[in-house]
Amino acid sequence: MVKIKKTELSGLINYLSEKYQVFAPVKDGKKTSFQKIKSADEIIDSIPNTNLSPKSIFFPQAEVLFKYDENGIKVPKKDEKPFAVWGMRNCDAKSVLMLNKVFGNAHQIPDNKMYNDPYWKQKYDSSLIFGLACNAPLSTCFCNWFDGGPFDEKGSDVFVIETDDHFIMNGISEKGKKFLKEYKKDDKSDIDKEKIESLKQKAESYLSEKVDISNIYDKLNKIWDEPIWEEISSKCINCGACTFVCSTCHCFDVSDEGKSGKGQRIRLWDSCMFPIFTNEASGHNPRGVSVQRVKQRVMHKYNYFMDNYNEHLCTGCGRCVLVCPVNLDIREILKKIIKV
Amino acid sequence: MIQELRIQIKKLIKDKTVDLVIGWEKGTLPLTATPLFMKTEEDVDRLIFDHTCRNNLTTFLTKDKRKLGKQYDKIGIIVKGCDGRSIVLYSVEKQIKRENVVIIGVPCNGIIEKKKVYQKIDKKEILEYKIEDEQLYLKGRDFEITLPFDEVLCDSCLSCSYPDALETDHFIGDAREKLDLPNEYSQVEEFEKKPSEERWELIKEEYSKCIRCYACRNVCPSCYCNVCFVDQNDPQWIGKTPEVTDSIIFHLIRNLHVAGRCVNCGACVSACPVDIDLLMMNKKVEKEIKERFNYTAGTDINEKPFTATFCENEKQDFIMS
Ligand code: SF4
Ligand code: SF4
Ligand code: SF4
Ligand code: SF4
Repeated sequence: MVKIKKTELSGLINYLSEKYQVFAPVKDGKKTSFQKIKSADEIIDSIPNTNLSPKSIFFPQAEVLFKYDENGIKVPKKDEKPFAVWGMRNCDAKSVLMLNKVFGNAHQIPDNKMYNDPYWKQKYDSSLIFGLACNAPLSTCFCNWFDGGPFDEKGSDVFVIETDDHFIMNGISEKGKKFLKEYKKDDKSDIDKEKIESLKQKAESYLSEKVDISNIYDKLNKIWDEPIWEEISSKCINCGACTFVCSTCHCFDVSDEGKSGKGQRIRLWDSCMFPIFTNEASGHNPRGVSVQRVKQRVMHKYNYFMDNYNEHLCTGCGRCVLVCPVNLDIREILKKIIKV
Repeated sequence: MIQELRIQIKKLIKDKTVDLVIGWEKGTLPLTATPLFMKTEEDVDRLIFDHTCRNNLTTFLTKDKRKLGKQYDKIGIIVKGCDGRSIVLYSVEKQIKRENVVIIGVPCNGIIEKKKVYQKIDKKEILEYKIEDEQLYLKGRDFEITLPFDEVLCDSCLSCSYPDALETDHFIGDAREKLDLPNEYSQVEEFEKKPSEERWELIKEEYSKCIRCYACRNVCPSCYCNVCFVDQNDPQWIGKTPEVTDSIIFHLIRNLHVAGRCVNCGACVSACPVDIDLLMMNKKVEKEIKERFNYTAGTDINEKPFTATFCENEKQDFIMS
């Protein structure tokens, strides 16, 4: 473990900037999000969670896959410096790990080929993530429903605990340990374990009671045709706000933009809430009405992802709860389903 | 008031005058109400109406391929002034049959804009709140504050001259006629005074924040097209990236599509997850249409849509010059 004074953060950011492009939570107009920073002065507290999730660092909302003209196809150049991200809360660090299962871990596609997403990998694999323990969870946080917690280290390379005047940093991954070793001499003597434990307990006390959703996967398998979906979806107006702020939603669409002989292919965030999400070329849409799309969102998060990767595609960050214009609270949906 | 409203609605349900009534109930977050679909008299016990009833519920009449209208013969709906204007608009634009909807008006004294509240308290968490005497009292872990209403009401409420619905089947209390608001367009006027480069910069700055989630379009009662222009992808009509040029096109076209149709409910403003000021441009267009065509959307059920009428002495300077 390495302990630095809070005033040393600016030195750390400068140190990081020599090798990395550093991202951190910032105020960005009226909203808060993760952006590239030049100095530590720009950093804001990531509690409450940033309005927009940090997924855009590795999975931008619009990403040019290639450009083309009469001379051929050009793939955009790789970013020169790798990415370092400061201040990702535990839930967000965990979300990146989930996305890495989709984009980064080679998985089998038809014809026995393995697939890796190069655009994701070139950003994620060389990155260094500083996760931040969450000292004051919000009333909309429910990370404790998903084997997470405010001091959960999953997904972080370096896990940081913020005390009154210090940051206590702990190397989690090999990358993280190596970085810390180079940055500063390890000094265990000075770490107040009791203080950390009391911060952790205080944070946990802020969370509302854990709801046991261990049967949600099985329940979802059984209720496909039940009227409960009508009840759940009736107030959803199918805007995409919940999915766009979500740290784990990752559906995308590919769009070609160009004039004759010249253009680009872009990957864009899509949303199961959008009317053309699964609109087929024939004009048929298997998810033509709201209830089918709401079902898709819930099934993907708490059932299909379980099939594919053995976990829920949700960290309980609560962003969707905060933005929904009709207050369709995903926690209420889950509570209803487990009771069916 | 709420008891009277509940009794009225229970009666409508009991008599089978309506199959369904749409209202609000308490939500899961502070200062938040959520839509309530009432089919039985028991459901009605959850009904509320207060300064947190943000949603313009009329959206449900046209959303999702007008499913509700197909499912139920007669729908009751509780409306504030702006919501009432939406119903009038739907009738004028032939989206609903007036006789299929039972309109229940409630007196609106303004809706709280949560975004303004959270700006004031630096996005801290609200653990307790009370609304009393046109004041909002808030308590959190390390703060306590009382805010006067005029600092926290929606901008659309502050510039609203139709607080009560004019077209109703039942009204709880006494409906007020149109109010005279001398400063209704003060923000627009300020904008108009700026040189055009500055106006353009302001528009760019505001719309460049858009993440294209379309929450504004989806909550908007006036945005009910079966296929929105942004969803036209064969061929694709507009760029879909959150780049400022694409976003500006989206917003300016939407401004024009709701021209003379926006009812100033402010639902779009409250829904936007990145706090874009969507009202100003809509008010600007509203003002323009009022001055040129003497037309205000959703205020007269016997009018034709303003784009469907023509009058020889209309100002035509924008074509002629
Ligand atoms: S579904 Fe909601 S709570 Fe879960 S990760 Fe997404 S935004 Fe967070
Ligand atoms: S934010 Fe709410 S209304 Fe919008 S799509 Fe999500 S659940 Fe539906
Ligand atoms: S544009 Fe905004 S204010 Fe106007 S009717 Fe639509 S949601 Fe309401
Ligand atoms: S709700 Fe806001 S972010 Fe979403 S499309 Fe509308 S203006 Fe853009």
